[in-house]
Amino acid sequence: MSKILLVEDDANQALLYQQELEADGYEVALATNGREAIQAVEDALPDLIVMDVSMPGMDGIEAMGRILSEHNTLPVILNTAYASYKDNFLSWSADAYVIKTSDLAELKETVARLLKKAGADKA
Amino acid sequence: MAKIADAIKKTTVMLLAGGQGERLYPLTRDRAKPAVPFGGIYRIIDFTLSNCMNSGLRRINVLTQYKSFSLQRHLDFGWSLFRPEFGEYINVIPPQQRGSSHWYLGTADAIYQNIYTLERQKPDHVLVASGDHVYKMNYQHLLEVHCEREADLTIACFAVPVERARGLLGVAVPDADGRIVDFREKPLDPPPMPGNPGYCFCSMGVYLFRTEALVREVVADAKTDSEHDFGMNVIRSMIGKDEQVWAHEFGGSGIGDEPYWRDIGTIDALWEANNDLVQVQPTLNLYDTDWPIHTHQPQAPPVKTVFNEPKGRQGRAVNSLVSSGCIISGAHVEDSVLSPNVRVHTGAEVHQCVLLDDVDIGRDAKLRRVIVDKRVPIPAGAVIGYDLDHDRARFTVSENGIVVVPKRAALDA
Repeated sequence: MSKILLVEDDANQALLYQQELEADGYEVALATNGREAIQAVEDALPDLIVMDVSMPGMDGIEAMGRILSEHNTLPVILNTAYASYKDNFLSWSADAYVIKTSDLAELKETVARLLKKAGADKA
Repeated sequence: MAKIADAIKKTTVMLLAGGQGERLYPLTRDRAKPAVPFGGIYRIIDFTLSNCMNSGLRRINVLTQYKSFSLQRHLDFGWSLFRPEFGEYINVIPPQQRGSSHWYLGTADAIYQNIYTLERQKPDHVLVASGDHVYKMNYQHLLEVHCEREADLTIACFAVPVERARGLLGVAVPDADGRIVDFREKPLDPPPMPGNPGYCFCSMGVYLFRTEALVREVVADAKTDSEHDFGMNVIRSMIGKDEQVWAHEFGGSGIGDEPYWRDIGTIDALWEANNDLVQVQPTLNLYDTDWPIHTHQPQAPPVKTVFNEPKGRQGRAVNSLVSSGCIISGAHVEDSVLSPNVRVHTGAEVHQCVLLDDVDIGRDAKLRRVIVDKRVPIPAGAVIGYDLDHDRARFTVSENGIVVVPKRAALDA
């Protein structure tokens, strides 16, 4: 079972994503800001990270950079309400960029695609 | 013309100045490679920075790393020439450890770790150059062809005899139009130029990128376990993906037929490049008022040569570069390069040497093919460079027999 680290500061959104991803058969761990995300990766390396960008404390882009410097092939999806971050070069380290909507189809499809690719790269 | 002026304003320079310069040791014991003195009054980095200024590129980030203090001080003293109100700057940037917990792993990683800087500056083009090379080049020519071809990357290249390229330089293989179809870093069997079998088309380590292409490529490279090097990894990967990678031939600014470009990577290369300068017709012209090379140097009085006794003491310097503040007192200096404030005392003989600032050569000392680092006093009567086995026991001696007397060397007479 693939492990996903979900980084999201909004408790309601976190619950929604967690339930939806678990319903698809993933094991989901939760962090509520960038600093927690770094710690969570150190505690138990996930197969993929779904990362919110705008969070209190350390934001998702900085956390992503730090995590990638230790685990450079770990897939990261930036998941944000703002398309503007997409122009930010710092966000280009992400493997995918998904704009938040109530329909999680794109996120789920991206998760599946990146996990499949990571599995193929490993094999 | 307006177009190139616009492109210049939208170009940022990333000057890689973090090289450790292991092969220049002990001259790099206390300083980064780009800060190694050269040509009497210059540091190696002055050449690339002067190229930027002469080409109108006034948005410069200098990426430092190892032993950067001496370099930082040189840039503070010599290169505070920029007007922020016109968008000009020189930023000296040590590793920020922003989103990364290690030092620069390679040239591409140095850019990757500074994406924040590019994000803030948002240039259209990025010139990646090195602070380790000596040459005079107008980057506007590079920028012109880069823009005309709408290239992702344009690499400055020049023809080098195969033997000089083997195992040392990056070699590009262009097609008939100049688009690069293969690139190899320091190959042992360098591919020759089409139609010119004795020569290779070598990279000068000067890369002009479209910014988006650069960011995309260094990000992709960071996700691999490569050497994180432009020559070894990024350029090859771009060619493999059929991106627009072009060569621009450096027309040269040397005197004579051959373009002048040197990687001052070793003691021998440094000594030879200094030796080039003392030739009657030097292959690198420092006296070209159309292409000034700027530096920082101390204020010092004019050179003084004293004693002209017909059968006694004579102070002479021939076939040499002698910087201000030097006093040659009853001594003989030949085929040498002297930095500011060097003293050469009565009876001393200096042949084919490079003496850095404030060196003091004692009476009757004899030096041949020696590089003496700053502020070293050479005692009266010392003999260096004549018995290399003896010199090896106390100093560094290069492959070609150049002796280096390091800083703080304590010598017995």
